[in-house]
Amino acid sequence: MISFSGVITWLNDPGNWRDRVGQEGIFTQLLNHLQYSVVAILIALAIGLPLGLLIGHSGRATFIVSAVNALRALPTVGLLILFYVIIGPHIHGKGDAAFLIPTEIVLVLLATPPILANTYAGVQNVEPAARDAAAGMGMTSTQVLFRVELPNALPLIFSGLRSAALQVIATATIAAYVGLGGLGRFVYDGLASRDFPQMTGGAILVAILALVVDLLLALGQRYAVSRGVSGRFSKRALPADSRSGEVVQLEVASA
Amino acid sequence: MRIKFVAVVAGATALAAVLAGCGKSGSSSGGGGSSSASGSGGSSATIASKLVLGGPPEFKTRVDGIPGLQKTYNVTFGNFKALDAGGPLTIGALKNGQIDAGDIFTTDPSIKADNFVVLQDPKNLYTAQNVLPLINKTKATDGVSKTLNAISAKLTTDDLVQLNVDVVSNKQDPDTVAKQWLSSKGLGTTGTDAAGTTLTVGSANFQENVVLAEIYAEALKAEGATVNTKLNIGSRETYIPGLQDGSIDLIPEYSGVLLQYFDKTATAETSDDVYSALQKAVPSGLTVLQQSQAQDKDAIVVTKNTADKYHLVSIADLAKSA
Repeated sequence: MISFSGVITWLNDPGNWRDRVGQEGIFTQLLNHLQYSVVAILIALAIGLPLGLLIGHSGRATFIVSAVNALRALPTVGLLILFYVIIGPHIHGKGDAAFLIPTEIVLVLLATPPILANTYAGVQNVEPAARDAAAGMGMTSTQVLFRVELPNALPLIFSGLRSAALQVIATATIAAYVGLGGLGRFVYDGLASRDFPQMTGGAILVAILALVVDLLLALGQRYAVSRGVSGRFSKRALPADSRSGEVVQLEVASA
Repeated sequence: MRIKFVAVVAGATALAAVLAGCGKSGSSSGGGGSSSASGSGGSSATIASKLVLGGPPEFKTRVDGIPGLQKTYNVTFGNFKALDAGGPLTIGALKNGQIDAGDIFTTDPSIKADNFVVLQDPKNLYTAQNVLPLINKTKATDGVSKTLNAISAKLTTDDLVQLNVDVVSNKQDPDTVAKQWLSSKGLGTTGTDAAGTTLTVGSANFQENVVLAEIYAEALKAEGATVNTKLNIGSRETYIPGLQDGSIDLIPEYSGVLLQYFDKTATAETSDDVYSALQKAVPSGLTVLQQSQAQDKDAIVVTKNTADKYHLVSIADLAKSA
């Protein structure tokens, strides 16, 4: 029976948060979970961001974006086992590498498409007039990319990053499926031993972690995106007579 | 504005790097899903404490899992890695050395293929799981019983392993494999022992059970019975009621789990105890015929190298000091 109070009890038990003999606690697994996710997102950023900027800027090889997008259709757990079966026999001896590498690969495959597609779309959708103006002012192609296109594309890039982060954190639970840690450990162990409070508690923690990270990224977006793009101006900075109606209008228009 | 953006990105990257660093050091000391358990209390290190065990996630808490190994054999492994129930992960990890010992099934084809050593279980931590026919009483005529008992008399665990290799690894047709096994044991001869009986043979939904059902079906057919088959029915919760209402008449079963199904409080462990307890626990209307010596149960297995290195024969050897 799944009772909500059982979940509350599980989450409130300090013994479940600390590491015990034979069972790592929530703190450790939270850190493991973040580690798997952050590594995957950083690798995906390293792939998707430059590639997206390049394709968006040059307008060439756009088929790559659709091809990478198709990767999203692959079933992650099936892929994980497949990669383990392929990679596992080449890694011998103790350690988690044989499990970690397949896990990171599937997470990167999951995180790259939204980052790449959004970066590409962001750069591509920059107003041609802005690009022309920049070129007319004497900017080089690289300067146009980094001073005009990238800042203008940032809102979309961030939304891609946020959707990738959300998906990766939610999916990093499968690390536990191949014997690694992370919050998925509680989900799989709970399911296997019919300890439903543990299972539900683990799932709730994953959801909370995903939301908190999304919130932090939203905060990062707020400060990283130029106000010229986001239209987020301080009311005090504007002249007194233009305060009331105009500011509201401006914000709505650019939202 | 640009400087601010760069600063934020740099900050985020630094944070990420720190997080990744923390995580890595944390996991390298403890190992992700593995959990160190070193409370054996002995002053000298045991063999087990140097080894990593792999098994299904519930093995951590299962009565015959880690707590059972500790209680029955005083064996505490250095580490446990939660993998799968005798599936590709456990087999792969054992083969590639990520784990030293694994909990898999005694009939797994990889035991033969990869030269794994099944550690003996002299204290019966794992309840006996002998293969036997569970049959509707009205169909258990002398002829039918004689035919099925002849199969049980010949069936061994090695046979089960080979049957699994044939149908699971080599993807052969279960019916063909069943006929081959019968003729190799001299059981496929035609006769009239079961003539006039009409039976429906069922099976659970895994390959080994399907082959066993085919063996029963083919042998009965050869003895003149009219046999229908309903294979891959599902779990015990589905087919036991089917046996009771007569939609199937016969199914290959495993003594230990079947006893647990009928009697949740059963404590019998050895083959003979389980069998005699089972005969009493079976509901009226059903009966079990003679059991074979073939068993499909949990076992702790190690690689040949590990067994040679530490001279391992039984689970109890793991508690010796290294």
